[in-house]
Amino acid sequence: MANPKKIAVGVVAVILVAAVTISFSSYMSDFDNVQRSSQDEGKTIALTDVPVLGSQTATVTIVEIGDYQCPACKLWFDNTRQDIIENYIETGKANLVFIDMPFIGADSISAAEATYCANDQGMYWEYHASLYQLQQHENDGWANIDRLTAIAFNLGLETEQFSECMNSKKYFSQISFNKQKASTDFGANSTPTFIIVNTSGTAERIVGPHPYSTFEKALDSLL
Amino acid sequence: MNNTFGTVYSNPSYILIAIGIFFLLFFPLITISEFLFFEPFIAFSIYPETTLSFLLIVILSFFSALAVSMNIYRVKLIKKTKKIGSSIIGTIIGASAGACSCGPIAFSIITTFGTAGSIASSFLSVYEIPIRLTSIGILGIVIFVTTKSLSRECKINP
Repeated sequence: MANPKKIAVGVVAVILVAAVTISFSSYMSDFDNVQRSSQDEGKTIALTDVPVLGSQTATVTIVEIGDYQCPACKLWFDNTRQDIIENYIETGKANLVFIDMPFIGADSISAAEATYCANDQGMYWEYHASLYQLQQHENDGWANIDRLTAIAFNLGLETEQFSECMNSKKYFSQISFNKQKASTDFGANSTPTFIIVNTSGTAERIVGPHPYSTFEKALDSLL
Repeated sequence: MNNTFGTVYSNPSYILIAIGIFFLLFFPLITISEFLFFEPFIAFSIYPETTLSFLLIVILSFFSALAVSMNIYRVKLIKKTKKIGSSIIGTIIGASAGACSCGPIAFSIITTFGTAGSIASSFLSVYEIPIRLTSIGILGIVIFVTTKSLSRECKINP
């Protein structure tokens, strides 16, 4: 007799894979043109606005769903990410995008906004890396506005422009969009969650700070 | 004390109970704490930053197995259940730490309880090691008191 729980899990998995496939088919095929309207402020926001690390024409895209205050995300950043960059991203086989799912606290949202403010000055990935390198305990103030501005200063960003961007909440809608996308379209309920998808739409889902060997197997099977 | 352990575990069923309790705790804890993964491939990883946390899980599971199995023996002998409660409290305290970080449990807590959930989750995550050490301490006391109690109440001669 069929187990209803297994059927439910199967249905969810099929929906997820379908969502990822549909989303990334358009994302990969028409990278510059796909635009999805946001509910907020009538501003057009899209997944295509998310910075990409590596070649935009890579066969495989690794979508990392994370929170800058998440210790497990830092574990992955410190122990696994560099090997993936060296073996798959720098070789042009894969690229990486980061989708914010800030849920741990208010500073998570500010930190996510700060990365986009840094992106205005072409330093998204540098700022992203600094946040994980400097991460401390959740909600202890390490990612408050003053600290975020200090990080921007240390990276050599124009702090006046950065502060103006932060104070105006310029990217609040983008972060809300990313968060919604992460939980609804990608079905993420923890961080880090990874969706690895190739150009034909085949996807693999990895939840948690897995070791490099897991990513190696998943990436090789999708290449 | 050695004689007490010898008396309890001379019966193989108590060794089996202890082993069962150890694995019943150990596997869920290392899964929740993201040392062991089942999907998409079975993977086990301990990073340098998480070695202490893993060792504390091993000690916690071992102490829980000892405390609970010895207390089952004690209950069967003298029909007192008081110390079983302490060992279960110790186990629950230890198990709750580390489960909340940025995993699905924390996500559920935070999305359900908002700021209060976020504070609770952060507390359990930040104080993971002290909480586990406290739990191990409670279990250590339970084991010590239980062995003393068994040697006294059951008149085990050294």
